[in-house]
Amino acid sequence: MAAVTDRSKLGHLIWPALAWAVAIVFFFPIFWMVFTSFKTDADAVKPEHLLFFTPTLENYVNMAQNYDYWRFATNSVITSVFATLISLIVGIPAAYAMAFDPSAKTKDILVWMLSTKMLPAAAVLYPMTFLTKNFLGIYDTHFLVILVLCLINLPIVIWMLFTYFKEIPKEIIEAGKMDGVTTWGEIKDILIPLAWGGIASTALLTFIFCWNEAYWTVRLTTIDAATLSKLIEGNRAPEGLFFGRLSAVSTAAVAPIIVLGWFCQKQLVQGLTFGAVK
Amino acid sequence: MANRMIPRLLQAPAIALLLVWMIVPLSMTIFFSLIRYVLNSLNRPEWTTPSLSNWRGLGNYQYVLENDDFWIAIVNSLMIVCSILVLTVILGLGIAMLINRSFPGRGIVRVLLISPFFVMPAVNAVLWINMLLDPVLGLQGIAIGAMNSMVDGLRDFPVLGHFFSFWPQLEPISFRAAQTSAYAVIMMVTWQWTPFAVLIFMTSLQSEDESQKEAAILDGASAWSRFINLTVPHLARPITIVVMIQSIFHLSLYAEIEIVSRGNGNTNLPYLIGEFASNNIGAASATGIFAVILANIVAIFLLRMIGKSLMD
Repeated sequence: MAAVTDRSKLGHLIWPALAWAVAIVFFFPIFWMVFTSFKTDADAVKPEHLLFFTPTLENYVNMAQNYDYWRFATNSVITSVFATLISLIVGIPAAYAMAFDPSAKTKDILVWMLSTKMLPAAAVLYPMTFLTKNFLGIYDTHFLVILVLCLINLPIVIWMLFTYFKEIPKEIIEAGKMDGVTTWGEIKDILIPLAWGGIASTALLTFIFCWNEAYWTVRLTTIDAATLSKLIEGNRAPEGLFFGRLSAVSTAAVAPIIVLGWFCQKQLVQGLTFGAVK
Repeated sequence: MANRMIPRLLQAPAIALLLVWMIVPLSMTIFFSLIRYVLNSLNRPEWTTPSLSNWRGLGNYQYVLENDDFWIAIVNSLMIVCSILVLTVILGLGIAMLINRSFPGRGIVRVLLISPFFVMPAVNAVLWINMLLDPVLGLQGIAIGAMNSMVDGLRDFPVLGHFFSFWPQLEPISFRAAQTSAYAVIMMVTWQWTPFAVLIFMTSLQSEDESQKEAAILDGASAWSRFINLTVPHLARPITIVVMIQSIFHLSLYAEIEIVSRGNGNTNLPYLIGEFASNNIGAASATGIFAVILANIVAIFLLRMIGKSLMD
């Protein structure tokens, strides 16, 4: 080992420096967006004000007054929270049955579930709009957005929960059965406390996917249930004439989720590996 | 084990929901793909209502197959997905190796690196194409303008200036053009998804068998051969996961294409469906069915690869 440490003396300086450089490059676009959001629209496109300018909150004030940011944000929170909760309520029992009482078909069912995620949304957009507008009358409602977010995330939720539940020794669950605990009791008193970490990671990741979803939420809403994705959609000015305004709206749309992500980093990493990487 | 009722009941809601979610819109899409159905038509108003009397058989499919845009979209879809996969895996491996050691500020480096993954796809596209890549107002335009004027200034120097007169005037690249917009899309999605690859590879690297590595060092194995013979096989499974999850997400890439290449002809399959759907629902549905077939081919391929190891 001595040779390795000797030779890597220089490496002690170079590798961390390189790691920092890469991290800064990756973070730069986000920094630039936040930075630009404090410029006026006029300053944002002037090279002489690239780095030095008088910071202003004008864009944020403007956004709060004219774009009804809070309504979009509230809708994002409501739909993401409920979609996450409901997909967990549907997903936990299913994943429990698959992990502890698998049948010959369990693997095929799991694979089929994930394959529904690959269906191109655009292929079924028209039928969905047609049905929800003309027949069901649920177009542009929270109910519809929650339902759709739930459906598109359910395969991932079940798959992730399944990989977590599989890690729990079967004996623990079976011991519960011997003691005459009901299925509901097993889930509530044994499974959920044991798999709490995995369930939390799943919930977090689902929440992020819901928050960032921009295909269905934009196309199945107009005003009442419109989320932050819709706000961005309406504000992407052509050819960047309003960089300041655009940056402020974008920052306000992504900030909550980035901050949440920072706090829950550890949990997320676990969840993202789908339990398949240890 | 005697009673299969309970596990079935527990799975039923999830399976039923997904089944309805798949079958109802899909069967409508199949129906629309077999009839003439347009949203606006002055000459043939009867085509604007979906009905069996407008039966067209496989005509929509033929129309789509004979359309050049369809083939461009297929090639583009595959090119974009494959480029993103290759780039994220290579960058992800490199960066994961880089931060898989302790150094001052490692926690902050991780936080900075993971951040792009949380950015909304629409924000990602808007941010890159306007503020970073715009050839005039974005950082790209400003940087190239600054370099050109710097070279111009150097040309005025005696003696040395002569050398700089050979230096060409740089042209900013417009990433909204048909030839270049796919690169912009690849760039922004790679930026967003490399952190995902890094996280997964890093988690996996931490579980690598250190004693095996030390033995290899004692045996005189070079760093490169240790990487190829020990680290890469250890990472086979995480690489498969990265490829699978990303394929699922990128085959249906939409927001980025819509914002970057709107109307310049450089589409992918989901976007082409959207374009058809602005009027010709029949053709859009037929394209949709082709997209479903493509997705299924990829799905079968990927799930074969991963399905077995995930069940262990």
